[in-house]
Amino acid sequence: MRVMLKPGKLFGLLTLACVLAVWLSLALGPVSLPLMDTLRAGLRLLGVPVSGDNLQQAELILGQIRVPRTLLGLAVGAVLALSGVAMQGLFRNPLADPGLVGVSSGAALGAAIAIVTGASLGGLPEAFAPYLLSIFAFAGGLTVTGIVYRLGRRGGQTSVGIMLLAGVAMTALAGSIIGLFSYLADDAALRTLTFWNLGTLNGASYARLWPLLLVCAAVIFWLPKRAKALNALLLGESEARHLGIEVERLKRELVVCIALGVGAAVAAAGLIGFVGLIVPHLVRLIVGPDHRVLLPASALAGASLLLFADVFARLVLAPAELPIGIVTAFIGAPVFLFMLVRGRT
Amino acid sequence: MRFVARLTAILTGFLITHLALADSQQPQRWVSAGGALTEWVVTLGGQSHLVGIDTTSQHPESIKALPSIGYQRQLSSEGILSLRPNVLIGTEEMGPPPVLEQLRAAGVKVEVFSAAAEVGALQGNLQKLGKLLGDEDQARQVAEQYVRQLDSQHDWVARAQQHQAPPGVLLLVSHAGAAPMVAGAGTVGDWLIKQAGGRNLATHNGYKIFSAEAMAGLNPEVLVFTDRAQNGASSRDALMRENPLLAATQALRNKRVLEVDPTLLVGGLGPRLPEVMKALSRAFYPADSSLNAKVIPAQ
Repeated sequence: MRVMLKPGKLFGLLTLACVLAVWLSLALGPVSLPLMDTLRAGLRLLGVPVSGDNLQQAELILGQIRVPRTLLGLAVGAVLALSGVAMQGLFRNPLADPGLVGVSSGAALGAAIAIVTGASLGGLPEAFAPYLLSIFAFAGGLTVTGIVYRLGRRGGQTSVGIMLLAGVAMTALAGSIIGLFSYLADDAALRTLTFWNLGTLNGASYARLWPLLLVCAAVIFWLPKRAKALNALLLGESEARHLGIEVERLKRELVVCIALGVGAAVAAAGLIGFVGLIVPHLVRLIVGPDHRVLLPASALAGASLLLFADVFARLVLAPAELPIGIVTAFIGAPVFLFMLVRGRT
Repeated sequence: MRFVARLTAILTGFLITHLALADSQQPQRWVSAGGALTEWVVTLGGQSHLVGIDTTSQHPESIKALPSIGYQRQLSSEGILSLRPNVLIGTEEMGPPPVLEQLRAAGVKVEVFSAAAEVGALQGNLQKLGKLLGDEDQARQVAEQYVRQLDSQHDWVARAQQHQAPPGVLLLVSHAGAAPMVAGAGTVGDWLIKQAGGRNLATHNGYKIFSAEAMAGLNPEVLVFTDRAQNGASSRDALMRENPLLAATQALRNKRVLEVDPTLLVGGLGPRLPEVMKALSRAFYPADSSLNAKVIPAQ
């Protein structure tokens, strides 16, 4: 595997891609706003006094719909990609994805419980239902990951191998309980569950954004600080220990990070597959395995990919909308295959 | 003086009618997120208002050219706003709630109707639709007629049951014949069977997949089925091919198998149900033929 790009160049390109993605995400949507209106409304939202004739619609769409949606996309994309890197570092395996420790299946189980029992209680109050779903998904992800981590502990040591197997078993168990809930669900609840499993950035609002942004900021701030420790872990656990890394603490911190990050992302946007697995892998193909570059580059790439996918998802079937999970895989998988084939020759 | 008073009266009258006209002539753009609701809007003559529909709105054919806003529970705020609607109608199933909030904030009137399979709910819905369309009288007449049809249906079933016990019925929803789901309590299918005078042999809630053995064991006297992928003879053949055990039931042996349109069963009580109900009743009670409905041929 060869290094194709210098880190500096890669960061330049990724920043450019990210800025482009943010711009597209703010400028494009099913409602076609003139470019000048978008700009003027954006300036007004930033507090710049611009004359505001006929800007109400642009301001509303930009301020209430596109800005929160863009922020959500950035946060979810970055946090999923970062968790992917942490996961692959923790398991020292490029095929590990954040779902392996059970956080996704736990969140899905929480969501299934919330959706199905909510529906069978005759529907929850309209204002309360989405929060309940998010809280259940978040709690489900944390619980299952907590159990997986506990199962991996043996005499003060965390065995990554046992965690992996425990994660597989817990995912299967959660899957079967989700199956039971889908069997009990009525048609409408089943559809909601299906769509939730495909993820969406639709309906983002500031009120639901803040918890995610906080968690996301914490993960983005903290993970890169552990880049050197992750690099040492690549050599193997005992080697890392000899290099003076507190391996047990690192593992615990990584698991907490993944559980919080993915849990919050999933709670806010539903299950969005592919980003956590492929983005870190892709970045590694381009710049190599140094976590000091890999972590921030993956965050930028994940955020950009998710925003591009979302722009596509909201435009392609307008006025209807495609679940974003479909799009991330649809865009990402061919790119990934292309990289693989090129890397081999 | 009288002349001035008259002139004032005329002018005031003119002004008022003019204002009223201006108000009702304001173009109303509606988006409908509910199959049965869309049908009712069309029945009440409001089709010209519709600028968008959801994926559960499948009837009548003439509305299918309208832009689709996706599934009722997964609406997109900006997508709907791009149709510049004044009004969004839908059942309490529509969502997600944050999107509805955004639409309200954007000045769209979000009108929520009941999806319950009950006549009371339907009457409330029609009254509300009538008010929105500005023709409450017509809506009331339509609702009254609906109730009259149901009442005469009840009478007819009561008379028919004097000669014949209510038949045991199963309603199956399948996709090209495979893995049929059985309509249980709380579904429009269940309501339809009961109104038509049948006895629903399934007692669970909602739609559930039954094994062929369980269906054969219940041994329905009449089988009502609907297929989402096919219709007519091919769907009947598919059902028999995929579920050969059904051949042992009374329904199959006596050739009492009826097909209904799958779009009838979504989103509450629609305008086409009374006619279908009559047809089902005729098939449930073949000896009584006093209702003038067309029977869906059993073979």
